[in-house]
Amino acid sequence: MSALLEVQDLRVTIGSTAAVRGASLAVNKGETHCLVGESGCGKSITALSVMGLLPRGAKRETTALRFAGEEIGHFGEREMSRLRGDRMAMIFQEPMTSLNPAYTVGSQMTEVLRRHRGTPRAQAVDRAAELLARVGITAPGLRLGQYPHQLSGGLRQRVMIAMALMCDPELLIADEPTTALDVTVQAQILRLLATLQKDLGLGILLITHDLGIVARVADRVSVMYAGEVVESAPTATLFAAPEHPYTRGLLSCVPVPGKVKRDEPLGSIPGVVPRMRPGFTGCGFRDRCGQASPACEGTLPRQQAGPDHELLCTLAPGWHGRNAA
Amino acid sequence: MSGAAAIEVRGLRREFRVRQGMFAAPKRVIAVDDVSFSVPAGSVLGVVGESGCGKSTLARLILGLLEPSAGDVLVDGQRLGGMDRRARARLIQPVFQDPFASLNPKRRVRDIVAMPLIAQGTIGTAEIARRVAEALERVGLSPDQGGRFPAQLSGGQRQRVAIARALVLRPRIVVCDEPTSALDVSVQAQILNLLAELRRDLGLTYLFISHNLAVVEHIASEVAVMYLGRIVERAESERLFAAPRHPYTRALLASVLTPEPGLGVPDVGLGDIMPDPANIPPGCRFHPRCPVAVAKCSTETPRPASDAAGLVECHLA
Repeated sequence: MSALLEVQDLRVTIGSTAAVRGASLAVNKGETHCLVGESGCGKSITALSVMGLLPRGAKRETTALRFAGEEIGHFGEREMSRLRGDRMAMIFQEPMTSLNPAYTVGSQMTEVLRRHRGTPRAQAVDRAAELLARVGITAPGLRLGQYPHQLSGGLRQRVMIAMALMCDPELLIADEPTTALDVTVQAQILRLLATLQKDLGLGILLITHDLGIVARVADRVSVMYAGEVVESAPTATLFAAPEHPYTRGLLSCVPVPGKVKRDEPLGSIPGVVPRMRPGFTGCGFRDRCGQASPACEGTLPRQQAGPDHELLCTLAPGWHGRNAA
Repeated sequence: MSGAAAIEVRGLRREFRVRQGMFAAPKRVIAVDDVSFSVPAGSVLGVVGESGCGKSTLARLILGLLEPSAGDVLVDGQRLGGMDRRARARLIQPVFQDPFASLNPKRRVRDIVAMPLIAQGTIGTAEIARRVAEALERVGLSPDQGGRFPAQLSGGQRQRVAIARALVLRPRIVVCDEPTSALDVSVQAQILNLLAELRRDLGLTYLFISHNLAVVEHIASEVAVMYLGRIVERAESERLFAAPRHPYTRALLASVLTPEPGLGVPDVGLGDIMPDPANIPPGCRFHPRCPVAVAKCSTETPRPASDAAGLVECHLA
């Protein structure tokens, strides 16, 4: 089966930082692929690379970047801007900064359709109202005439989602779409995304730092650390049998009600996410890893830890079981 | 009884006047509405609720950074109103959410931590240096890091600086307002472990404010749930998480996404009406969003009911 989005060996350098150091991932049609990691691990840069939205001065290299079977790695700004907002759309963390405060919701939503499809205004307005209703906004007619500041955070994010759907995209990239929202609203927005995906057959690349979100919405998970995908597996596999020391550490850090007793320490990973210089080789996690060995400074083997379960580590799959014994 | 309470709050109320447009008459916003509770020494009261529920206003009232419109705050048995600022600083200290905003970027770490000691005006230079070094060590920072500027530290290290500054006067109470919300998960765990250890070793009392219920469950001995300025439920942590009584508490708990695959995203059942502190609904303030509201919820204000299990404010509980 050919993937909707396929990224192979992506490398991005921004100034003196190697932000992405050989990341590969694929998103299938109708699938939610979560890219999870801490701040500075390169997950947002990966998303921006796919959309062709990297900051000026960033250098991108890939061996393949395919969208719906077509190589788009060599596309210029003109060709990318034709794809963006049309066949691939993106929503961001803070809807207030990605909506233009000076224009009404209606004029921003219809602009997408008029620009990409040349749809007449009246028809575009109908489509906008229809989508606002689709994302659970009551009184869409009223909302179309309002400005972003008149909406609550949850409503703004719904507007962003509706706007992203204006041209019926095949791929939706969502970068921390619920991080700025209250937990109650977060649950509502994630449910909405899940429903839309089922109904529209969207492929979703969801970027988050929250393992709770990953567990609940992802079909597949890729864990990123220091610019590399260190582990990738179907969601159930990753949570049941994590292999990479970083994945295992990250999972032990999350407080789960009823799991760790109060006042018993949570698991934690010492140190901080490092900044990678170009030319850095080997595992970016080795300074924080309890299992590091001299082999971690060389080229890391890409291993199969199980069916569809990839691991980038010098340790053999199953190492933790043997250590515990 | 009152001798054992580190923090006691009686009938606390705070109003703000907010202009909503150039010509509109200012509106009254009641951010904290008749709140009473007490926190025994050595325990942790977690305060949870959505943004705008008044939890940060409550923190600032207890820190004495805001004057209450009505009611009293007693810290260690003494009324906060009229207390000398320096005396207050020796009793109660804050740790805020954003260690980027709460530390002066132009001062070295050791000067930031020394500031509360200098402000006391009675402590000698040598003693200050000694206590700063002790505080830095206590939170896991090296003497070398004491000579750096905040911009040279990571988010987690900066939060350690903020904690060292809060501890340097050896207060009895620390008010933590979202202390880990700006941090990565692995760093959040380091800071939570540090706070728990400090509480045990130094016998501190925490008021711990967070929107993250899993974090609160981990650190708090008692939890208060706030909704539009009122505490709608309060109970011992285990009990609240095992058997929530208020429908709002149940919705909040339902929306916690634990890392358990296969469970999907729950329907929290709150609808899309958002709470507006400038427009508090009549009757029970939660009724427009409540999935189990009955007719009297929209007309009759529920009274807080206290029993051995805690406090709940709901007609149906």
